[in-house]
Amino acid sequence: MTLTLRVNGHDHTLAVPADTPLLAVLRNDLALNGPKYGCGLGECGACSVLVDGVVARACVLTAAAVQGREVTTLDGLAVEGRLDPVQQAFIDAQAAQCGYCLNGMIMSVRSLLNHVATPSAAQIRAALEHNLCRCGTHVEILSAAHLAIELDAQQCKQLQGGAHA
Amino acid sequence: MLEPTAKPALPIELAGTRFGVVMRPPHYRWDGERLICSRLRQVDDSALAGLEEVRVVVDEDFVGVVAPTIEAARNAAKRVVLTWDEPPAAKAATRSPKAKLTNTSSAAKRDTHTQTYAWPSRLRWGDAPGWVVARADQASLEVWAPTATPEALRVDLSLATGCDAERIVLRDPSGLGFATGLGRHCGDDAAVDAALLAQAVGAPVAVWLDADYARDVRALGRAQCMTLGASLDAAHVTRFRYRQAHAQGEVAAVGLLLCGREAPTRHGDTDRADLYSPYRFEQTHVSAHRGARAYQNDDSTSIQHTFARESFLDELAHAEGVDPLALRQRHLEDARGLELIGSVASQADWAVPVTEPPVGDVMRGRGLAYAQLPDRHQRLDGGVRSAWIADVEVNRTTGDVRLTRLVVGQDSGEQVDTARLQQTLQARVLSKPQGLLGRTPAFDEWDDGRTTAVERASFTPAPAPISKGVETLPERFDDTDFAPGVAVIANALFDATGVRFREPPFTAGRVRQALAMGEAFDGDDATAQRGTRKTSAKLSGTRRWWAAAALTTVAGGAVMAWPFKGAIAPIARPAATLYSAETIERGRLVAAAGDCAACHTVAGGAVNTGGHAFETPFGTLYSTNITPDEATGIGNWSYAAFERAMRHGISRDGRHLYPAFPYTAFAKTSDADLQALYAYLMAQPAVAAPAPENALTFPFNLRALMAPWNALYHDPTPFVPNPAQSDLYNRGAYLAEGLGHCSACHSPRNAMGAEQGGERYFAGALVDGWEAPPLNALSRSPVPWSENALFDYLRHGSSPLHGVASGPMAPVVAGLAELPEYDVRAIAHYVAQQMGAPVEDEPAQYAQAAQLAASSAASPSGQEEGARLFEGACAACHLDNGVPAFTKASTALALNTNLYSERPDNVIHSILGGVHDDAVPGSGSMPGFADSFSDTQVATLAAYLRARFAPSEPPWQQLEQRVAALRQPHNNTPSTP
Repeated sequence: MTLTLRVNGHDHTLAVPADTPLLAVLRNDLALNGPKYGCGLGECGACSVLVDGVVARACVLTAAAVQGREVTTLDGLAVEGRLDPVQQAFIDAQAAQCGYCLNGMIMSVRSLLNHVATPSAAQIRAALEHNLCRCGTHVEILSAAHLAIELDAQQCKQLQGGAHA
Repeated sequence: MLEPTAKPALPIELAGTRFGVVMRPPHYRWDGERLICSRLRQVDDSALAGLEEVRVVVDEDFVGVVAPTIEAARNAAKRVVLTWDEPPAAKAATRSPKAKLTNTSSAAKRDTHTQTYAWPSRLRWGDAPGWVVARADQASLEVWAPTATPEALRVDLSLATGCDAERIVLRDPSGLGFATGLGRHCGDDAAVDAALLAQAVGAPVAVWLDADYARDVRALGRAQCMTLGASLDAAHVTRFRYRQAHAQGEVAAVGLLLCGREAPTRHGDTDRADLYSPYRFEQTHVSAHRGARAYQNDDSTSIQHTFARESFLDELAHAEGVDPLALRQRHLEDARGLELIGSVASQADWAVPVTEPPVGDVMRGRGLAYAQLPDRHQRLDGGVRSAWIADVEVNRTTGDVRLTRLVVGQDSGEQVDTARLQQTLQARVLSKPQGLLGRTPAFDEWDDGRTTAVERASFTPAPAPISKGVETLPERFDDTDFAPGVAVIANALFDATGVRFREPPFTAGRVRQALAMGEAFDGDDATAQRGTRKTSAKLSGTRRWWAAAALTTVAGGAVMAWPFKGAIAPIARPAATLYSAETIERGRLVAAAGDCAACHTVAGGAVNTGGHAFETPFGTLYSTNITPDEATGIGNWSYAAFERAMRHGISRDGRHLYPAFPYTAFAKTSDADLQALYAYLMAQPAVAAPAPENALTFPFNLRALMAPWNALYHDPTPFVPNPAQSDLYNRGAYLAEGLGHCSACHSPRNAMGAEQGGERYFAGALVDGWEAPPLNALSRSPVPWSENALFDYLRHGSSPLHGVASGPMAPVVAGLAELPEYDVRAIAHYVAQQMGAPVEDEPAQYAQAAQLAASSAASPSGQEEGARLFEGACAACHLDNGVPAFTKASTALALNTNLYSERPDNVIHSILGGVHDDAVPGSGSMPGFADSFSDTQVATLAAYLRARFAPSEPPWQQLEQRVAALRQPHNNTPSTP
């Protein structure tokens, strides 16, 4: 079966079975290694991507289910070489230990900020509650998320200012 | 997300309009003179306590509920408990016209010909669904109702409400002006219902008129029976006898009869001027009960009289082998009449029978009728003479009747605009909504998807048509002008088909039914003998056709009891070009509705090549290859072999098939659909694939034992629509009971593997390791289903209040995706009726859903192990933490029917094998946990889910054993990248 997927702004035509997991297509066919294979059962969140700007677990989605939608992976977050504010925040806050979960953490925070500009601490916890991290970096990850709110707001302001100028 | 859909607007704007629903007695029927009905003993409306806006209206045996919305009224009507006394014993049996006919006197015995004709009390329930509204105050009554008999309705309304007839204003909701009908329809009954309710509550009340009123049509039965007799001598009528069974040729509105304010009828035999016959016979006896009603509709009497007399003369002519025209001329003395009938005959080039051979399924016929009616002052000479000749085309398969030509001569002393009369008749008698031959969609008609469900569904109020853009009718004629109209069509129908119709209307369904019976057709309980007709090659063709039908029936009977069936000779595969593209396309829809591929395809295999295994209590069965491969498929099956398999469960080679192949349901499929299905299957690519051998235990491996099984449990009768139900319901019933074979999974089976009916119909069953939940009142859905929710589920694979289609239901939804929207709507409507479900999700259901979701927010105590499993494996998708996520399950677990079931099977299956949306992409998918959870863990999780999300239900027992059992034959592996 031939599928057309739009990933990180580009259309890809693929001859794969319709029930192929999206994660397999992204990593194997499109060589996008931002999303990680963790549990394969939608439990850990390491495979998270954005579908139409909303976080999704790519290991439990079929490729056919996202046809006609906009898929964004960690690899596609940066715009013109400039990191996404959430990525920058995770670097600035030194939030990585082994880093395997960070793809999911970053995508989850990005999804949250897409819907709530200034989420409360409780909302951040809820958004990350089912993203597993086995290094115990939770405190740094939470402070990275709080920093991301600020950086995101700054970038918004800059972009608006740029648009005015 | 959980928003009720918008309500359709009431087309008639009236401030403060309230909505009424009437509750008819359990038994009521018209016996020809009076209404025999259950008597209301007690009304218990305690269930409505506290609902101030709801009023129960009781007037003798008339009961109704009025509420601010139609939904509230319908719900309230369900909750009022009415206690009825049995109707008085039917002494009426002795009064039935048939009994009278057999008892009658030597006079009848002397007649060489006797025949009975009937006229229904209601020709139909109405033209189209719509609101009927009444507004009453002290002195006046205003009613918006689609009536064909406004004068009679005015009298009924006046008697029912006590309002002076002068002060009753009738308004036509269509804006077209009232149609001049040939008889009453249920618009009158709905109008009286609305008026009684409006008067009782002192506010305008709207009542929904739709096919539900067909119950009144049935209860009221026949308004008139006319018995005619004649003695002939040398093709000359010497004695002519006409007798009407009942005083009145019409029946008042049901509401009026129930409230008991109908004026009593007096009886007495009187010769009547309006039963005047234009013919002169040596002896003429005309007798009729003289009824004294406040309003006596002489027009309807004369239409009925003319129908019976002109049909009878036609029968006499055919019986004696005389030209019907010549027979009439022989007995006419009136010079003007003779001149008229002669001129019309020559203008129409009169000759019967029509000798053109039938083209395809279309049979042609021609009929004649004549009438002379007295003028307003009962003077005959000044009356109208009219002679009619009509040509019809009858489609034998569809039952459609088309009036192809009409020649009408009318002598009223003035110039008659024949073209206009013809145009009027076309519009009135033949046009779709208004006519005598009005066509209703057949139950086996496949919608092309161009008409939307809203346009055709009977429950959706259509806005009143505006006269602009609609063909405007010429100004109305008196009903008397139409007097020969019914007879002329009945006579032409006989000429075309050889079947005598002795009771109108001649709708497509009744014509088809009559043709199938091959008998004279004067009603559902018709026992009259077949009309006889002489000569003509076409007739013998028709007779051969009957003979073939009879033979089929006999063969069908033989098939059931005889265990060893002959093989049907193999044929070469039919050429792909044999069937038209339209037929193959229709067949594709039939295959989709029957979901052939779901059972005849193995996962990952080529479509329809068989091999799918079925675990049954009797062993394992495998589906077969139904591609047109000649060696391993059905390529060498003739249509006869295919039809025998579908209707009787016998393979081409004579072996019995097991009812895992649901021929018990497929037998209900119509001939046309089976032929199309055959065409479609034969047009598919042939794939060689031998079926695995069945592994059945003794004695079930003996196929011959299926012969007595079939005799006991299989009814090969094709589907017969229930005329009391709407077209939508009948379409849904046809699809659900036949091709859709819903009951094959959703009805429990007895020890012999036969589906159970009655109360057990749709009561749920275990199939292929899954539980097919009940689809009747036993449904355990935490939030009750609605028709719209069923439609969403069947059409899109999910419903917000119930979740997604999974397991064996997923391919069913995928198959239904091929069907037009109307068909899916019809199935939803039919299933909703079995459940007693409302049309729409009501606000209460959304509130209940929200409440269920809220009450399951907290984890139950004492289930920490299950809670941990849930948190780890399920919560990421199944808990609503207020943050949006694309892979979040769209339906709360608290609304999941499977968690409320008596059996844990579907829950265990879902945990082990997951949910896969390959059948319906986008409906949602879930990984299976068979490889990551032990039996104990699955059992612990299932117990936790039950305790948390279905706290009202008792815990499941012996979960671990059940998990182990279900894990075996369904070793679904989770997908890994």
